[in-house]
Amino acid sequence: MAEEAMIAYEDVHKRFDTPVLSGVSLNVVRGETISILGTSGTGKSVLLKTTIGLITPDRGDVKIDGESVYHSSRTGIRALRRTVRYVFQYAALFDSLNIYDNVAMGLDPETIKTLDKKVMLERIANSLENVNLDPGKVLSKLPAELSGGMRKRVGLARAIVGEPRIILYDEPVTGLDPVNAATVNRLIMSIAERTKVTSIVVTHDIEGALEMSHRVALLDNGKLRFIGTPGEFRQSEDPLVMAFADRQAAARAALKLIEHETSDDDNEPGSAHAVSIGV
Amino acid sequence: MGFARHVGQISLLTVRIVMAVLQGGVSIKMIFTQAYEQGIGSLPLVLVTAVLSGIVTSQQGGYQFSSSVPLYVLGSVVASSVVLELGPVMTAFVLIGRVGARITAEIGTMAVSEQVDALVSLGRDPVPYLAAPRVLASMVVTPVLVGVANAVGVLTGLLAARATMGLGPEGFLYGARLYWHSWDLLYSLAKAFVFGFTIPIISVHMGLITHGGAEGVGRNTTTSVVFMIITVLVVDATFPPLFLN
Repeated sequence: MAEEAMIAYEDVHKRFDTPVLSGVSLNVVRGETISILGTSGTGKSVLLKTTIGLITPDRGDVKIDGESVYHSSRTGIRALRRTVRYVFQYAALFDSLNIYDNVAMGLDPETIKTLDKKVMLERIANSLENVNLDPGKVLSKLPAELSGGMRKRVGLARAIVGEPRIILYDEPVTGLDPVNAATVNRLIMSIAERTKVTSIVVTHDIEGALEMSHRVALLDNGKLRFIGTPGEFRQSEDPLVMAFADRQAAARAALKLIEHETSDDDNEPGSAHAVSIGV
Repeated sequence: MGFARHVGQISLLTVRIVMAVLQGGVSIKMIFTQAYEQGIGSLPLVLVTAVLSGIVTSQQGGYQFSSSVPLYVLGSVVASSVVLELGPVMTAFVLIGRVGARITAEIGTMAVSEQVDALVSLGRDPVPYLAAPRVLASMVVTPVLVGVANAVGVLTGLLAARATMGLGPEGFLYGARLYWHSWDLLYSLAKAFVFGFTIPIISVHMGLITHGGAEGVGRNTTTSVVFMIITVLVVDATFPPLFLN
């Protein structure tokens, strides 16, 4: 992989009531998939949002291809945003628009003006197929008519339809059952492999992160505690990295126990409703 | 301090809407959609309010004047009260409840569910997309609704005067014309135009700054309604010394 930094976080500070980011510096290489891990409230999503100006840092800078997100002209920032797509935690689909229009929003407004309607439909349908959704079944539906997993996949389709150079994923598997979470993780990997897009994934899913990423970063108290390959992460002797990994292992063990107990309950008469509630 | 911040943010939002309009970035289709929702959707409630305003004013006036002044003065009282005051203000209150609260709740929900952030991340400015169509539509629709409310209010006042006080249409209209100034209608529509701007600009602003989930949406919608009512009353109190003296 080339060592050219596509995204550079330079000493990023952000404070709300308390400090959230306290001098984060990180270079993300072109074509790389990097996962940012950390406990809740450590500033992972805040860092991700500084990449496209959804949250402005108090100090420091974020550069994409050497151009500052915060010190560029309005036109420059608009051009930068065209190259980046953000996949939101709960998809953030527009409630009042159907799936066709939602995915079309992922295209640049200037591109929409030049595209023939048939070509546009083809591109939108392709994006939906790429995330394992049947365009014929979902195009005319409203987001409220889809399941959580399908909405997340529509969010992915909206992100890839404009063929961005960077995709930012904000907890893409949060709230999904293990099957849907694995599907979304596989989609992120296949999108990265197919399009060579640079990806930053903020996630709590450590197994997924280690599987899909070239590098893994661990944020702790607003600072970058660890950065390295998945192998280095597994072998790290940093107590926090180890503790974090252990916590994940403990959580998985607890989840398995719950699933086991649920399946036992499901075998009892009259407990069928528990399956749908659990999923 | 909080009030000054709101005023500053609303001023900035206004400037951005003007810029969006000047740059031609506002969709005409979205303005029409909003105008339809705000105008046609509010019409039944505006009509009910106007009918009741006309009837109540006519009956109250008739009761007060029955033994002291000629009854035809009732025509003037009803026409002036409805056109100068009740038509615009009651319509504004209807729009605050039906349109303003809805805008704050709708945009507030979009803000807390990251849909506004999604718009920004997709290279769309929320001002021409969300704010400008709602504000522009309201500035067109509110004067029209107030015009309708004025006409209906005066008409039902006339009918109520005939039914309860025995004052015929000729007498009512004679009284109405006697003290009528052509400026009054312009005054009424100008007030409506200002209300048509203040109601959506406050509601859009309160929606955009919403945070804190469902509780935040509820809190900001309530605050927005309170701000809108106070603003409408303050504007209403400011108009007479500025334009009627």
